[in-house]
Amino acid sequence: MALPLPAFVAKRRADWDALQSLLARQRAGDLRLEELRTLDTLYRRAAADLAHTQTFYPGTDAHRFLNQLCGQAYAAIYQPPRERWPAVRAFFQRDFPRTLRRERGFVGASAALFFLGLLLGALVVLWEPRGAELLVPPGVRQYVAHGRMWTDDILSVAPPNSVASGIATNNLTVTIVTFAMGLTFGLGTLYMLVNNGVHIGAVGALCIREGMARGFFDFISAHGPVELSIIVIAGGAGLMVGQALIDPGELPRGQALALRGREAVKLVLGCAPFLALIGVVEGYVSPGSLFPTWVKAGLGLCLGALFWGYLLRAGRTEADVTAVLPADSAS
Amino acid sequence: MSTASSPHLDVATPERVALTLPVAGIGYRCLAWLVDASLLFFFWIVAYFVFTLLVSDVLGVFQGLSGLGQTLLVVGVFATQWLYWTLAEVFFHGQTAGKRMLGIRVVRMDGSPVGLYESAVRNLCRAVDFLPMAYAAGCICMLLTRQHRRLGDLLAGTLLVREERIDLDKYTAAPAPSAVPPAAGDTRALTSEEVELVLAFLARAPGLSADVRQRLGARLVDRVGGLSGGEREAVLASPERLEAFLRARARAEG
Repeated sequence: MALPLPAFVAKRRADWDALQSLLARQRAGDLRLEELRTLDTLYRRAAADLAHTQTFYPGTDAHRFLNQLCGQAYAAIYQPPRERWPAVRAFFQRDFPRTLRRERGFVGASAALFFLGLLLGALVVLWEPRGAELLVPPGVRQYVAHGRMWTDDILSVAPPNSVASGIATNNLTVTIVTFAMGLTFGLGTLYMLVNNGVHIGAVGALCIREGMARGFFDFISAHGPVELSIIVIAGGAGLMVGQALIDPGELPRGQALALRGREAVKLVLGCAPFLALIGVVEGYVSPGSLFPTWVKAGLGLCLGALFWGYLLRAGRTEADVTAVLPADSAS
Repeated sequence: MSTASSPHLDVATPERVALTLPVAGIGYRCLAWLVDASLLFFFWIVAYFVFTLLVSDVLGVFQGLSGLGQTLLVVGVFATQWLYWTLAEVFFHGQTAGKRMLGIRVVRMDGSPVGLYESAVRNLCRAVDFLPMAYAAGCICMLLTRQHRRLGDLLAGTLLVREERIDLDKYTAAPAPSAVPPAAGDTRALTSEEVELVLAFLARAPGLSADVRQRLGARLVDRVGGLSGGEREAVLASPERLEAFLRARARAEG
């Protein structure tokens, strides 16, 4: 026969209070080794008490209390390993490039979509001049009509560093939105990729038609390769999410989504530092005539090659890791 | 778990005890967000005023700021959008300041604390949950899913559980020594529902108006006491005697 509830609580409460205070100290981070053993013992006792209340006193406050207490202790004891700096290093050395190579199908599809948009925008403007009115923002059109690069004025209006930080946040927003839009069954990502491609293609084609191809490539060559790669990678991550939603395979949709989401976000997180770097290049180097075109083009090609070299080679074997690392830190 | 219909998270532990954690609904989550958002807002207000107190020519300083300074500023603004949430959730066991105030916590679907990836995913997805404005997409998603998860939670495999403050003192509170409890008519053990009922009444009794207190008390005495005639009258004579009797009965000493 079970004890009456108040007597049961009175008898066992000392252990529960002790467990609670140990949990509080565990959170604060000043738990000693002996106390850790006590914590384990007390948790097992509380779990046994919880089973007891589930049978004899269901739906009471004592049941709710023990449930919560065991939940907190469970979370404290069965913790996943904490991510720290070594984990961050391992992520950039191995995890991120490997994930990218494993998901190259999605990144490839994303790149294809982007180039499709690029081609579409360029062809429309090249074949039908009035298409530019539809696809190119009016501000840019005005500049081009006067035969100037709109980017020439970025520097004269604002100092280069503010341009750099503004561009960095803008790129960040585009990247995050491109990825997160994958939640709309991939349609949003698709739209973002094609739309960005169409815009860039249309602006480029307009510049070529007006005989300003040199200015356009002068502006885009330094940061373009890496920046567009990053947006394509974020698009690939978004497509992964969309694919998990449309075709979850053997798993329930929710689980597939969580599983693929964790993989996809690695691609976005991995791109973040490169995005910040390329924002600096776009703000300082690309606009104006501070650097000659061949320097910009060389820099852009070098950065792009380093970036993709890192993505395709890093973490392949243990021997490769050490060889690729300097290249990684240099980019 | 108080009622079968309220959403909850079932966790199977290696100790073979099933945990049932109550899930935080949309109300808790909105309130927690409001607290966090206003906290960030006031942080920037205070930062701005301190800054303007220290320097008079704000615009001039901004324009004269070095590249590093301006980059830091932009990073600071970005931090309030994303880093604040993620770092708080990773380092403070799934709780930002607002969530701590409301007593809710982000956990994985298996009840374990969130890691960096999960937290990063669910906070990056704020961008989508916020669409088209004021978290409309997130709120609709929370209303449609069984465990009140927004899109970011679905993608990260997380959800928010509620932590209640449960007072165990009511079980162990000693009866007032002044009122001597009379002997009960029968001494059958009360079921745990009856104990909960009596204890809930005792906890709320001081806040009830006098006649309601008397009426509810009398009904409880009739239900659990098994008294008749003179004994019942004696118990019902004053609220103090009545509650002392009920307390003793709940402690199974009657």
